[in-house]
Amino acid sequence: MKLFNSTLKAHSPEVSATKAKKFGTLYVAEGHMLAMRRYIDVIIAYSVGNPLMYLFAMGVGLASLVDANSAGAFGVSYMTFIAPALLVSAAVMTAAGEFTYVIMDGFKWRRTFYGPLATAITPYQISQGLQLAVTGRILAQSIVYLLIVIAFGATASPWVWLSVLVATLAGTAFGFPLMAYAASLEEERGQFQLVNRFIVMPLFLFSGTFFPLTSLPWFLQWIGWISPIWHGTELSRVLSYGYDEPLWLSAVHVMYLVALTILGWHFSRRIFARRLEG
Amino acid sequence: MSTSAPYVQDKDLVLTGSKRAFAALYGRNAKSVIERGLLATKTSNASIMVSGFVEPVLYLLSMGIGLGSIVGTVTGPGGTPMSYAAYIAPALLAVSAMNGAIYDSTMNVFFKMNFAKLYQNMLYTSLGPLDVAIGEIFLALLRGFMYATGFTIIMWFMGLIAHPAGLLMVPAAVLIAFGFASIGMGITSYLKKFQQLDWINFVMLPMFLFSATFYPLSVYPESVQWFIQAMPLWHGVELMRQLSIGYFTPSMLVHVGYFVVMILAGVTLTTNRLRALFLK
Repeated sequence: MKLFNSTLKAHSPEVSATKAKKFGTLYVAEGHMLAMRRYIDVIIAYSVGNPLMYLFAMGVGLASLVDANSAGAFGVSYMTFIAPALLVSAAVMTAAGEFTYVIMDGFKWRRTFYGPLATAITPYQISQGLQLAVTGRILAQSIVYLLIVIAFGATASPWVWLSVLVATLAGTAFGFPLMAYAASLEEERGQFQLVNRFIVMPLFLFSGTFFPLTSLPWFLQWIGWISPIWHGTELSRVLSYGYDEPLWLSAVHVMYLVALTILGWHFSRRIFARRLEG
Repeated sequence: MSTSAPYVQDKDLVLTGSKRAFAALYGRNAKSVIERGLLATKTSNASIMVSGFVEPVLYLLSMGIGLGSIVGTVTGPGGTPMSYAAYIAPALLAVSAMNGAIYDSTMNVFFKMNFAKLYQNMLYTSLGPLDVAIGEIFLALLRGFMYATGFTIIMWFMGLIAHPAGLLMVPAAVLIAFGFASIGMGITSYLKKFQQLDWINFVMLPMFLFSATFYPLSVYPESVQWFIQAMPLWHGVELMRQLSIGYFTPSMLVHVGYFVVMILAGVTLTTNRLRALFLK
């Protein structure tokens, strides 16, 4: 009976339960990160390919048209202007991808949220664990993105490193409430595709990403004001090239993003608890 | 007891193959595949159908109006000056024809092929692989035709069509969609896992970004220009842009020819693949 004399001894049930209660969120996060390894090739291609393609296409290609036709409209080169916006948009889009089908998968398709439930891990921890894992992915992806932006020479400020945190915060500000919504769905009838087409895409296109929000007609500008991408982008511009903005407005951006993140965190915890204990 | 001939005779029980050419490939019944597709549309989510049309309109509003107010006037085909919105609108139409066709012929077909096992069931009947290919591609084109008509109407309302030839953008969009749908379905038949569908986006995104959609090709070094000109979307964008201002040159024949060849190659590939997969 070699198997049972293995040095890999399990803890006693009491110890396991105590540990699970204490580190449950981390355990769940670890599980999700291991699951992400299954599609690590896509993650890497996306994290590196996406910034390269957008920075070449928009920062070099489109920039040549914009800089030639309206030199000085932005105060900086067009590349410098859009790089922080692209960083933030990519973070939000990753959040949109990770907090939709994965949730349906956990509750309905492969029911992975029910596994940890058989242990001492609580529904709150199951919800937070996923949030932690995805936040980690967004943070790592944003660091890679920023390195590529720096390689393109599209930033001048030493504060630019903080924009990685801003991008991640924008990702959670959009992702956590989306997660709460996704967790409230019993069935997938194309809602996620609609979220993508009618929420994510408009937010990307009308958040002052490719031009200042004020270039849009007034009846479209409100999309930017409610958009985590716009708030994140404005902050990120302040940090990467000293974009001129009053301090109170920067504070509003941070508070808005933090508030959305907390609301999303709170509601997804509650919905997870209701569904898993109900 | 009377000895009349039996109702079923021995010769009736002998199966003989049809003498008609390509009988194994084509059951002359693509119609029923189309009918089934239209019926299925009725029960699907209507807002998803609408969403495919909304995307290019959003791009047009955002880039055309927002960025257009900064960029101003650009140089179109043959040196014609045009507003930035008028410059990108035909390109967006070409992109939306590509996206719609690729969506229909990859994601959609992949799920029907691997999860619903729809084609397998169809091929158990008198339908051949060519019926299935024609039926599915026709459905994709019908959708593309509707989107293109809608977008062209919006362009017209926004004053972005400078010439009556702009109406030809609708059939041109169908041609582009045909090219992408036929190739897309053939490629989908090679995919085994749905994560592999992500790779299709990795081909589509650079095509979308680099095919002179948002700025002229002249910003690239010559070697890059050659590469982009080898890609199908660039031909679609050029064709649309020329039609929108009624600028006809022999180069248009090259663009159209590119898609004709793509269609022929795609339909051949798809039919062969369906036969290899299902008629073993």
